[in-house]
Amino acid sequence: MFHVSFRYIFGIPPLILVLLPVTSSDCDIEGKDGREYQHVLMISINDLLDTMIKNRTNCPNNEPKVLKKHACDDNKEGMFLYRAARKLKQFVKVNNSEDFNLHLSRVSQGTLQLLNCTPKEDNKSVKEQRKQKSLCSLGILLQKIKTCWNKILRGSKEH
Amino acid sequence: MTILGTAFGMVFYLLQAVSGESGYAQNGEFEDAELDDYSFSCYSQLEVDGTQHLLTCAFDDPDVNSTNLEFEICGALLNVKCLTFDKLQEMYFIKTKKFLLIGDSEIHVKLGGKNITSKKLNIVEIVKPEAPFDIRVIYRKGANDFLVTFNTSHSQKKYVKELMHEVAYRQEKNENDWMHVNLSSTKLTLLQRKLQPDAMYEIKVRSIPNANYFQGFWSEWSPTFHFRTPEITGGKMDPVLLTISILSFFSVALMVILACALWKKRIKPIVWPSLPDHKKTLEQLCKKPKKNLNVSFNPESFLDCQIHKVDGIQARDEAESFLQDTSPSQLDESEKRRLGGGMQGPTWPSEHAAITPKAFRGDSPFGCLAGSISMCEALVQPSSRSPDCGESGKNGPHVYQGLLLGPGTTNSTVPTPSPFQSGILTLNPTAQGQPVLTSLGSSQEEAYVTMSSFYQNQ
Repeated sequence: MFHVSFRYIFGIPPLILVLLPVTSSDCDIEGKDGREYQHVLMISINDLLDTMIKNRTNCPNNEPKVLKKHACDDNKEGMFLYRAARKLKQFVKVNNSEDFNLHLSRVSQGTLQLLNCTPKEDNKSVKEQRKQKSLCSLGILLQKIKTCWNKILRGSKEH
Repeated sequence: MTILGTAFGMVFYLLQAVSGESGYAQNGEFEDAELDDYSFSCYSQLEVDGTQHLLTCAFDDPDVNSTNLEFEICGALLNVKCLTFDKLQEMYFIKTKKFLLIGDSEIHVKLGGKNITSKKLNIVEIVKPEAPFDIRVIYRKGANDFLVTFNTSHSQKKYVKELMHEVAYRQEKNENDWMHVNLSSTKLTLLQRKLQPDAMYEIKVRSIPNANYFQGFWSEWSPTFHFRTPEITGGKMDPVLLTISILSFFSVALMVILACALWKKRIKPIVWPSLPDHKKTLEQLCKKPKKNLNVSFNPESFLDCQIHKVDGIQARDEAESFLQDTSPSQLDESEKRRLGGGMQGPTWPSEHAAITPKAFRGDSPFGCLAGSISMCEALVQPSSRSPDCGESGKNGPHVYQGLLLGPGTTNSTVPTPSPFQSGILTLNPTAQGQPVLTSLGSSQEEAYVTMSSFYQNQ
């Protein structure tokens, strides 16, 4: 009897603590009504995509591995956007035009402004990230961000 | 105890004096005045110059000494923490692309690096659009309305694209009597009937963000456009139509009056001819143009006429010779010889009286010639009264009493005239000396004189 209670006391709570992050969302999304996204972020994303289409080189069909790690899964949209927004900062370069960099910054900073996330990004994941200098990766990332935002807005309309 | 209480009281008093709280009205007033002096208001204009945005701030009190004052904006900026305003006269502005357009910013008023006052605002909520331009008014004659069009630079912008416009128009002579119309598009239709004709109007327009995400203030008014409403074009056409309608009305009225007036005399006899009345027809036939002629078959009207007895034998012979004679010309000549000289004066009736009974074949001298008479007359009264020659005259129509030979040869029965019956048959006055007896000279077919033929001749 004493051994059984000991397991329940010291075994289950840690298990709960480990499982909770899997099911719960880490980020609160403030702009779920879509006004900020439609009137500001989407304009900058489309501007960036249009610029990349004009200067586009042949991009491979396969998706970079780094980007494959994170997806806009259910209940994880906020976290995905958080990570994607932080990734966008890596694409800000001196070689780009001022407007291009400003749009990148607007999408990144604006997304982060709308999210209220507890930073789960540890140093290990940051170190593992490589600077994505390819415009192809940026294009894919922007498309994913766009898709994820649409998913969030659709979900909010249904509710 | 008392010493202790006094000591505490003094300490509190000193504390109050040193702290300088609101007990001193002079200081309090000075501090309140400082806050009011530096109140300011701002407005933003997005994409005013390409992709650059403009933020403009100014103090509400124009008397503020802004010599060493600075404006600074912090928050909701891209890649920077704060930006400093530029100063132009009494206005502070900043022109940059680095507005995030999401979230609140804070604007600080600084004096010598020291923050005097601050204000929290959202740049997307203080947007002032650019004034519309190129306002035009086109009159559409077919639609009887005015098409108002104008242009705005925001149709080409990325962020503030949806605006609400306000069109204001008034008649130039009516000051402060503006009519306002709100619309979201850049076209407006004004109905002509709602405007005064032949009047001068002025019109202007301004814009405001439609409050979907971007909010703010009204823009400046566009330049005023003047236009004149046309005169009523229907007036030009009306006189013509009016004239035509009046003429047609009067013509119709005249026709109606004439129809009513001439109905009985002219129109009805043609449309609905009446059946001939024998007596009246005869009277009409015997009607002579002379006014004083008394035409009547009433025997009393012949009281003044001299009636001569007719020689029956002579008359019969004459009639027989007439009937046997087939050439109408000879007969006409013979008739003319007999009747030519004696057709005047009172002796004429006697001669005629001699002629007519001959055809009677021994019947009553006052009878009618059988077979050749289609019209029969009554007898003559055996009186020797002289006829009323004043009435007949020499050239006037001749009055026959007794029998009259008709051109036809029918064996119709002839009614026996009574001795006191008399009938008057007036001759055709058109040919002098050629009474109806000349019809004896015509063919036998023409000898029949029916009532209807008399009526038709009349």
